[in-house]
Amino acid sequence: MMTPDLLALFTTLKMAALTTIILLVIGTPLAWYLAKMQSRFKVIIEAIVALPLVLPPTVLGFYLLIAFSPQHLPGQLWQQATGHQLAFSFSAIVIGSVLYSMPFVVQPLQKAFEQLGEPLLEAGAMLGANAMDRFFNIVLPITKASFITAASLGFAHTVGEFGVILMIGGNIPGETRVLSIALFDHVEAFDYAKAHVLAVSLLAGSMVLLASIYLLNSPRRKTIERIGK
Amino acid sequence: MTSPSLELDLLLSIDIQLCFEKFNLTIQQDLSLRGITGVFGHSGSGKSTLLRAIAGLEKGVDGTIVLNNANLIDSKTCSFVKAEHRNIGLVFQDSRLFPHLNVLDNLKFAAKRCPNRRLNFNEIIKLTELDSLLQKHVDELSGGQKQRVALARAILAEPKLLLLDEPLSALDRQAKTSLLKLMLNIQNELQLPMLYVSHSLDELQQVCDKLLVLSQGKVIGYDGIHPMIHQLNHAQTYDFIHQQTSLSLPIKTLNNGHGLATLTLNEHDEIYLPALEENSTDETLRCFILASDISISLTEPINSSIVNHLSAKISTISTMKNKVLITAHCAKGNGEQEFFINISAFSQQKLALMTKQRVYLQFKASAVRTYLY
Repeated sequence: MMTPDLLALFTTLKMAALTTIILLVIGTPLAWYLAKMQSRFKVIIEAIVALPLVLPPTVLGFYLLIAFSPQHLPGQLWQQATGHQLAFSFSAIVIGSVLYSMPFVVQPLQKAFEQLGEPLLEAGAMLGANAMDRFFNIVLPITKASFITAASLGFAHTVGEFGVILMIGGNIPGETRVLSIALFDHVEAFDYAKAHVLAVSLLAGSMVLLASIYLLNSPRRKTIERIGK
Repeated sequence: MTSPSLELDLLLSIDIQLCFEKFNLTIQQDLSLRGITGVFGHSGSGKSTLLRAIAGLEKGVDGTIVLNNANLIDSKTCSFVKAEHRNIGLVFQDSRLFPHLNVLDNLKFAAKRCPNRRLNFNEIIKLTELDSLLQKHVDELSGGQKQRVALARAILAEPKLLLLDEPLSALDRQAKTSLLKLMLNIQNELQLPMLYVSHSLDELQQVCDKLLVLSQGKVIGYDGIHPMIHQLNHAQTYDFIHQQTSLSLPIKTLNNGHGLATLTLNEHDEIYLPALEENSTDETLRCFILASDISISLTEPINSSIVNHLSAKISTISTMKNKVLITAHCAKGNGEQEFFINISAFSQQKLALMTKQRVYLQFKASAVRTYLY
């Protein structure tokens, strides 16, 4: 039998991994269209995507809680489709995380796509590569580092989430009780020893993850790779 | 090398209009493409935009572009063939090699996407002299090497038409020369029609069979390379080109032992120029003589160090400001050649030159310019 903290770790990793995958799937086309978009609505979409960076998580959590409740349309639709309530479920915290971590995935990708520009894509088209071919064989390999950054930041930010999950997920072991919530529980119960274990592991885990991103993207490494070739 | 495809000209008929804020391009022209067709014009004349429209990279083109009876664009029926489906190649000014691939993989990128491969990959590498560069990263290449890879890559996609957008403009003279020679070699080996955009008439003069001239978004001329350049000599716009006599002449000797080569002008006259490379196998030479490099003498200047003096008859005299442009024909036997000469209004008056007058044209061997040697 798993200890409650290990269960929280497992829930956290599952939530963060799923969130990251969903974010890459929907964030990539979104970032692509934002990078290519020239309409004046671009700034509005950019602002919406960036909102979680400045908004208190509890504000987002509050509105999501209302939307996810069976009294409101999104919650109702979900209940009709799945037979389960959306609020206080694992799905709810994944949806919340997707929205909350969106800018961390979309922004690095959008910047990378903007920097790449049209020249190499035009060259690809002139060699007979269609749009999908150009994306997978030109865009993806050249912006690989940005994809790694986007995925890692999205993942790390989701692991560190607290406010949104507290509002819409509550504290159900194995469902919505993630590490940050478990830590809060230990502190409330004055169990500082257990709180320390969780705090240190979150700190160390985040540190290792961030350091690996920076190492992966450092100019020094690129030089070494080049010489290696 | 693979056998050349049927020796039919590629027909490109263009009837398009493109409007930008400060610039309009209106082109109505049928081109019969064989060999290398040059597109000449100054910056802002619309030549690169025309090329991009043919390639399918320009959005908002109004009108039609038809290549051998196939519509590439028809804005009336809203049909637009995407760039990747046009089977047209384009070599850009800035190479645009893929930075995540080495030279070999850049070339393979093109070959892999070619549906019916006829060319032999290794023979193209040999033709473009890329054997020693295949494993190099594109960052390690010089400008000239990058363009050679870009050219090879474009050829390996086996387009039916190759567009070249100022491919030499970022290169030094030596790299330009070697790339121009390569273009001619490719042309000879593969018979691939090329449309070559440049603002350098010197380069175009060396390799093109025909020349299309644009100015301010409109076609101002389309003809064989020499007649077209000669028409431009009369352009009313001051200094549109350096007025010149453009020639293709049979090589008689590469080096006469005194550091000079000779070209056959007609049965009686030869033209001397600095000796050419001894290993050259070319039978004819493209060259040009600037109108400002030729002077006129009323008597044959036999006691001069200037080696070229040709008897000619003045056909036209036109004055623009203080400059006089004279055209004269060397008309002995069947090889009649028109020459263009610039002199000052002062000299014209002093010599009292008139049309139909017989004079001697003189120019130094070094005034006969060629780009490829």
